[in-house]
Amino acid sequence: MASGLRRGLEKWAKNVSGWFGLSLSKEPVPEESLEDLRLAFQNRYHHFKLLLNANNRALEVMTEMEEMLQGTRPFGMTFVRSRCTQVSTAVFQIIQHLNALAPGKYTELYERFRAIQKQINPYISIPHGSVSGPLVLPMDQVDKESGDLVGSKMANLGEVRRHLGVATPEGFAVTVCGVARFFEENDLQVEIDRRVQAVPSDRLDDLFALSAQIQQLIIAAPVPEDLREAVQGQVQALKERLGGRLRFAVRSSSLAEDLPGMSFAGQFRSELNVGEENILQAFKEVVASKYGVAAMTYRLRHGLRDEDVAMCVGCLVMVDAVASGVLYTRNPLNIRDDVLVINAVWGLPKSVVDGSVSPDVWVVSRKEPHTALERRIGEKSVKYVCYPDEGVCRLETAGDERRHASLTDAQVADLARLALQIEAHYGGAQDIEWALDGSGRLVILQTRPFEGRSAADRPVHVAGDDRGVPEGVEVLAEGGVTASSGVASGPVYVVRRDADALQFPEGAVLVVAQALPRWAPLLGRAAAVVSEQGSVAGHLANVAREFRVPALFGLSGVMERLQPGRTVTVDADQGRVYDGLVEIRVERPEERQALMKGTPVYEALEGVSRLILPLHLLDPESPDFSPKKCRSFHDITRFCHEKAVDEMFRFGSEHRFPQKSAKQLKCRVPMQFWIINLDDGFAEEIAGPYVTLDQITSVPMLALWQGMTAIPWEGPPPIDSKGFMSILLEATSNPGLDPSVASPYGVRNYFMISRNFCSLQSRFGFHFSTLEALVDERTSQNYISFQFKGGAADRTRRILRARFVAELLESFDFRCEVREDAAFARLEGRSQDVMVDRLRILGYLIIHTRQLDMVMGNAGSVQHYRSKMLQEIETVRRAEGVSCP
Amino acid sequence: METIRVLLVDDEVEFLDTLLKRMRKRQVEAAGVYSAEDALRYLESSPVDVVVLDVKMPGMDGIDALKAIKERHPLVEVIMLTGHANVEVAIQGMELGAFDYLMKPMDIDELLYKVQDACKKKRLHEKRIQKRKGVEAEEENGTA
Repeated sequence: MASGLRRGLEKWAKNVSGWFGLSLSKEPVPEESLEDLRLAFQNRYHHFKLLLNANNRALEVMTEMEEMLQGTRPFGMTFVRSRCTQVSTAVFQIIQHLNALAPGKYTELYERFRAIQKQINPYISIPHGSVSGPLVLPMDQVDKESGDLVGSKMANLGEVRRHLGVATPEGFAVTVCGVARFFEENDLQVEIDRRVQAVPSDRLDDLFALSAQIQQLIIAAPVPEDLREAVQGQVQALKERLGGRLRFAVRSSSLAEDLPGMSFAGQFRSELNVGEENILQAFKEVVASKYGVAAMTYRLRHGLRDEDVAMCVGCLVMVDAVASGVLYTRNPLNIRDDVLVINAVWGLPKSVVDGSVSPDVWVVSRKEPHTALERRIGEKSVKYVCYPDEGVCRLETAGDERRHASLTDAQVADLARLALQIEAHYGGAQDIEWALDGSGRLVILQTRPFEGRSAADRPVHVAGDDRGVPEGVEVLAEGGVTASSGVASGPVYVVRRDADALQFPEGAVLVVAQALPRWAPLLGRAAAVVSEQGSVAGHLANVAREFRVPALFGLSGVMERLQPGRTVTVDADQGRVYDGLVEIRVERPEERQALMKGTPVYEALEGVSRLILPLHLLDPESPDFSPKKCRSFHDITRFCHEKAVDEMFRFGSEHRFPQKSAKQLKCRVPMQFWIINLDDGFAEEIAGPYVTLDQITSVPMLALWQGMTAIPWEGPPPIDSKGFMSILLEATSNPGLDPSVASPYGVRNYFMISRNFCSLQSRFGFHFSTLEALVDERTSQNYISFQFKGGAADRTRRILRARFVAELLESFDFRCEVREDAAFARLEGRSQDVMVDRLRILGYLIIHTRQLDMVMGNAGSVQHYRSKMLQEIETVRRAEGVSCP
Repeated sequence: METIRVLLVDDEVEFLDTLLKRMRKRQVEAAGVYSAEDALRYLESSPVDVVVLDVKMPGMDGIDALKAIKERHPLVEVIMLTGHANVEVAIQGMELGAFDYLMKPMDIDELLYKVQDACKKKRLHEKRIQKRKGVEAEEENGTA
């Protein structure tokens, strides 16, 4: 890359020397009318500018893609698709503009472009074409083979029902085909993608708004007739079998929930106790929850494409639970413990899952007769029960119910047995949601593989193994349960309402009353989480473990005790919150390397990057530097840029302006400078032979002029006798450099200008400089190119002087190149202010380095002139107004 | 540069109205219509330099509208605007003569620059045509 740039610079420098061919061209070119010249210039220059714009845009996007390839920041398919589109359009435009600069010369590039584009397409195309299969499937016909059709949640439920005879709810599932049918009928995916793209995704408030919009869009869409009939047919069949009016639990079941390392905990909505007449509405709400904030954030962080998370919906006959809960067949904080952990509450399991109460907890031996090793009866202040008609009611529990165990020891043992039977069937630890119905029967509501693996890798606090309170540190809060292990510090941020969540700062300690799943989207930003209520089994705890955010739940009164904004340290293992930043060494497993790597989204980016980013065309002089050899978009970009510069700077040698159209600059008296207005460089049309500074509108020319005139030239520096000799010798041996030899351009200095463009060909005695600048408010297309060459002294001194100039300019951000006695400098893409400042510096240099080569043999005087010039440059940069010398 | 006459075409009423307001604040003579059909009608009666055209609209879509505009008013420059990142549509649009392709949400200044560039292209194109006509007229005079 670097050498490519360098070569480009050299090549470009070579071209610049022929630019406009004023003083250097050998072949006379026929003169054109000013009007023709202007039109040709404007047209070409317009294409050249647009090409540079497109070129910069393409390179910017490529850089962005390169950064994302590190895989440390989350991105979605929207990123991959939009960047591909940006690069493709930019590259296509580059080709178009190059072909406008040189008609018909590079049309082969279109074929290369097409060929590369064709290879990119499969990575970014949006899959369509529907899966064929039934729209709905009764639970009796579902088992683990049906995963691709009904999602793992329903497939597991069907599996344990059919093959283990375990009690599960009656019902049916709307399959992936059913949901796809609903989306297709309404063209929903296209509209959703469009809206996702239209919102920058890293701001939480935007994301909340977007999520709400998309969900409303889905809920407002009608269910197609065939799906409606299929669902109603299932409901009817169940009614005939079970009798009475049915109420359903309508739950999400995603095809992605089996993906390793991903829990999807609490992302999707479940609608409980839905009346049969509202089942379709609930279906849409559950489907819409795929675009809930938690779910969208989760996909983004895990590199999942929307299509990777196909949704199905289970419609299960509601189990009116007396007690219910969640159990793990292993300890979520230490998988090596030989125990099961059962969480239980009164009523529906909703309050365990959403972390709103502290449940009863039994830690039970995995061995018969499954004795309870630990038994904690929680403060179950509320319970959720079914309304007889529809909906779920939140009830305050009565005093003795609140502290009464929600399961008997016998029920605990039965539950443990059932759970281990399921575990044995699957051959792996399970995470099971269960319910005890009115008749005392245990019903399994959900079972899925228990993701304890990552938790097991972590250091786990072992009771009695207290690290102790570090010396001199104040303990602000103590107690609670470790929901996710670890230690972290940050400023306290209390979230009471959703509105607070919108402004959650990166790296803060999240403090909440309840460990609600609603706060999950904040975990990507939080240093640690502290809650007054909540359980280890809740969704938030799951997500905290997955994101490796230390979490301490059940610290009552902590919201009062932690002052917002104050830095605290949360030691989740020890159950303490300390004041200030406390260094506690914890042996943590390595952070997950590059979170995006290996995900479907990452693979898509990697695939397209191979076709976009690599640069194979390095050497413009090589015969391989040709359209045929362009294998990536970067190659095409590089090739076109090179050729565009060639074509553009050929303008000068191909065109000659009519001398009489040049206006002489008059600054009190006529100056040795002539100005050609290429477009809008004059404030008005000028009739006479002279133009004054106030009539000139050219931003770059005026900046340059300021630099040239701010400090009067003192004349050549006093020279040593050797220096003087070398001038004489060179002058006699090279008559072409003799200023006394007549040439129409020999003594004239030409500015060609437009409002934002300026080209200066100047020759002072033996010194040539060529400057070209484009400066306007569009930063990306700004550039200055400058060449400084010649001198009357011997070659060594001239080379030294070129180096001197290059070094000076490098300190002002120019990219410089010295070849022989010529210095080439280039500056691109800086703001107008910077460009104007740098032009002043160049203006100063053009005048004041004129005969420096004469003192170049003497190190002491070089040093002297350098510091003198740097000093003067500072004066020039501060000078105000445009003046005559 | 003299005033640029822009026609914005988008079925999203709110988006279009905001854009119109912001363009006018930036001294652009902007008009807006909510469909491709209305855009074609508008072009019959009012001179326009640049059309900013949403790709996806109910009724006639942006690509068909682009074809129709380029056929009936070849000098008018068209910038395609879209909510989808769709490479195929983008390239197709440009092959059909669209000046550029922008994805929503775009920076208003970025759009403005593109509008200026597109207009500049149109002006240069017009100048060249005028010039050619001038040359032809001279030749005719010469032979007559």
